Amino acid sequence: MTMATKHKFSKDYVDPVGKSVPRIDGKGIVTGQIKYAFDVSFPNMLVGKLIRSTIPHGKIISIDTSKAEALPGVHAIITAKDTHQIKFGSNEYFFPHTVDQMPLESEKVRYIGDEIGAVAAIDEETLEEALHLIEVKYEELPCVVDPLETMKPGAPLIHEARNNIAVILPVNFGNPDRALKESDYVREDLFYMPAAHMAALEPHVCVGQWETFSNKITLWSSSQAPFKCREALAKTLKMDLNDVRVIKLAVGGGFGGKLEMLPMDFAACLLSKKAGGLPVKICCNREEEFLATRRKHGMVYKLKSGVKKDGTLMAITGEVIADGGAYCSYGPTVLAAAIMRIFMLYKIQHFRVTGYRVYTNTSISGAMRGFGGVQAGFAIESHMDLLAEGIGMDPVEFRLKNITTPNMVTVNKMVLTTNGLKECIEKAVEACAWKKKHGKQKHLCCGIGIGIAADVMGSKMYKSHESAGSIVKVEEDGSVYLFTGAADTGQGCNTALSQIAAQELGVSYSRIRCKSGDTEITPFDTGSFASRVTFISGNATLLAARDAKKQILNVVAQEYKLPPEDLDIKAEAVINKKDNSVLINFDKALEICYSFNYGYQIIGRGSYNPKTTPIDFRTGEGNVSGSYGFEAQIVELEVNKETGEVKILKMWDAHDIGKAINPQSVEAQIEGSLTMGIGYTFLENLHFDKKGRPANGNFANYRLPRGFGIPPMECILVETNDPEGPFGAKGMGEAALLPTSAAIANAIYDAVGVRIKELPITPDKIIKALREKEALEKQHNQVEVIP
Amino acid sequence: MKTLIINKKKYELDLKGHETLLEVLRNHLGLTGTKTACEETECGTCCVNIKGKAILSCITLAYNIEEEITTIEGLSEGETLHPLQKTYLETGAAQCGFCIPGFIMASKALLEKNPEPTQEEMDYALDGNLCRCGGYLRIYDAVIQAGKEMKKLNDQEPRNIATCKG
Repeated sequence: MTMATKHKFSKDYVDPVGKSVPRIDGKGIVTGQIKYAFDVSFPNMLVGKLIRSTIPHGKIISIDTSKAEALPGVHAIITAKDTHQIKFGSNEYFFPHTVDQMPLESEKVRYIGDEIGAVAAIDEETLEEALHLIEVKYEELPCVVDPLETMKPGAPLIHEARNNIAVILPVNFGNPDRALKESDYVREDLFYMPAAHMAALEPHVCVGQWETFSNKITLWSSSQAPFKCREALAKTLKMDLNDVRVIKLAVGGGFGGKLEMLPMDFAACLLSKKAGGLPVKICCNREEEFLATRRKHGMVYKLKSGVKKDGTLMAITGEVIADGGAYCSYGPTVLAAAIMRIFMLYKIQHFRVTGYRVYTNTSISGAMRGFGGVQAGFAIESHMDLLAEGIGMDPVEFRLKNITTPNMVTVNKMVLTTNGLKECIEKAVEACAWKKKHGKQKHLCCGIGIGIAADVMGSKMYKSHESAGSIVKVEEDGSVYLFTGAADTGQGCNTALSQIAAQELGVSYSRIRCKSGDTEITPFDTGSFASRVTFISGNATLLAARDAKKQILNVVAQEYKLPPEDLDIKAEAVINKKDNSVLINFDKALEICYSFNYGYQIIGRGSYNPKTTPIDFRTGEGNVSGSYGFEAQIVELEVNKETGEVKILKMWDAHDIGKAINPQSVEAQIEGSLTMGIGYTFLENLHFDKKGRPANGNFANYRLPRGFGIPPMECILVETNDPEGPFGAKGMGEAALLPTSAAIANAIYDAVGVRIKELPITPDKIIKALREKEALEKQHNQVEVIP
Repeated sequence: MKTLIINKKKYELDLKGHETLLEVLRNHLGLTGTKTACEETECGTCCVNIKGKAILSCITLAYNIEEEITTIEGLSEGETLHPLQKTYLETGAAQCGFCIPGFIMASKALLEKNPEPTQEEMDYALDGNLCRCGGYLRIYDAVIQAGKEMKKLNDQEPRNIATCKG
């Protein structure tokens, strides 16, 4: 024990969890040194491009590539006949019939942009020329672009599905008809939410290389889910999983658009094979991004609900139609999430909403941040304000009466454990001085409105499991390597996971080196979606660090002849828990592990699978998530009655995040969500021409929020310390985006008394509604005068 | 042959007349810190500085450039970050980071003229830059804080502008 006096706790040591440490890759970002797939280049690398359909709907008669093949500099051309023609999709586990897309279509094209082949050449100029030389003959079929028209009898059939309805999802609980009859107030509303685009700044980009001598492939891809990409590649290329390696580098944003293997990933690999193993890079330009990657579902949401005079929410019924575009992608589960999210928010026993996900001859709708919850959020939270108004109740009071509570089981068997929704509402209400402002600022044209949201943190959407793995390796010099399959797409999970590893291991954050998202080197992880990474991959990392620590302590215990259970590592030192004395520092402990006597390598492992019950889509029952996050959002704004312009004055977001592993990252996620929400509310509307081609598919016409006019935002972090979360944390990357549009629409109503039910909210819609309101008031006044 | 001075280094390059500065930086010189997300002047990720001005490299022909070019790679000296790099890091302005080099270069052009910009001046100078992750507020914070730092450095040694980069 003489060693004990030599070592003391480091004065500089701070607990990594709960601290806003700088991003682990931050220096790389600000110096421009960090590498994205966009920056990858190899000697003799070819460039590739997809051959895309130029018509919205038709049969492929022939593809003549002979002239292009003869062009010097063209190395490879592939079409469906070079492929195994195996379909892929993203809901193969729950909805196997929706696996409906070929990597390269062989018989039919279903939207302008549909992939039917690909070319690889030595440079862009040759590539463009080759694409012009390819002759495709089609038998054009009538197309349908409107999601309501597509369901009508007689509309052209895009797949085999009857009335172009790929999925019908009825969700029924209780007796909604009886409950509506028993209600004191019933109202029906119809909401329209347009399609939108993820518009990540780094385009979809990949480099594929076929190692001809071993028949293995490597794909460097800008991916949110490298392991899912590997699975789809192996399936469609008819290879073993272990023959495919997907490497994710830094990713310049994903927002759901980079969750799936796209035909370009497939094509880059196959082109490389045909080109004798030369690497092939395919990078979408911005036009292709809008034309043929993934987009958000446009939705029409009809709601009819009833309430009692005392504010009790009796029943919710309705119908959702989601515009799916040409293929299913994640559509079925997006639709399910758009319907079932409400169970996390409100105690509701009587419910009947039927969802339809329909095919149209437009680009493919998939997962976009919020996973259907943004569209549903606008509809439901606008509807809730309207219901409250109908019975003359304050919208906050109405919500507080009906929201879910901690430790409850919802009607569809979701198990809500920690639930900070009440606290979120109360804190946001207090911070914005709701009572002074709501309904009381009409003279200023200034209003304040609320929206609330909940999100699932890691749902079982992959096969039958949703597990993540981590490895924590500690070297003889005391450096700590974290290997995680999780995919940092910019949200900062490499940083948060490193903080978790450091905290559990009892060392400084600066010791951690994080290696992530390489299917051959890192453990399996399903990827970045469903706000799952902090919660699920975080738990796996915590367990790996705990395992590594146990190994270190076993060696130290042996050396000092102490029981290992008496030891722990805290603040960079091995301590004796009995008297909290410092035994040796961390570096010394590792020296011992790797000494002549022991030679013990420290490799900790962690695997975590959340305790959930997959949703049974026949009944709508299941516990999709290991934890649930909640939030309340309030917006204060000003409406100019002359111009219809809206100026947001301030936004408050109170968010139950369990525990903030990195408060700065959490707040930045919230601010980013709110900004994206402002964009979807006022600006973003991906619309299509008669042939289904995006009418505004570039940054000049598809308007995104810019810095000008972004309002001040106040983040209020509510820490409910979820017992299942790593250090109490839950995920939080998406929820803050869900209620924004409704909170804004509700505030506009409070300000000037007009209700906008169709996004985006534009000045002309507000002016039109104001004029209609005035005309109606005039009419009323006249009617009153006459008698 | 064409001579370009980039980040204080001289390059002799065999350029085609139609090649943009962006292509030269990324494809010929491997300076991939400069990005592009649209190639049509809408996103600002390709922003570099030429003679102190923020220039979009995606529409600037490399052949016509006579003045010195600074890219994101030319800002730090060794391990010492430029005040803008430091504040963008510290405020948490960067998430995915793809827009950050462009934002830093646009901010640099602004602050070198005016280290104490008003909100309006920042709005104007950064209006050409898109960020999809972060929400801009932290970017503005970073610019304001870096301006203060740069002013302090300039005031300390007014004759030696190079310390700006320290």
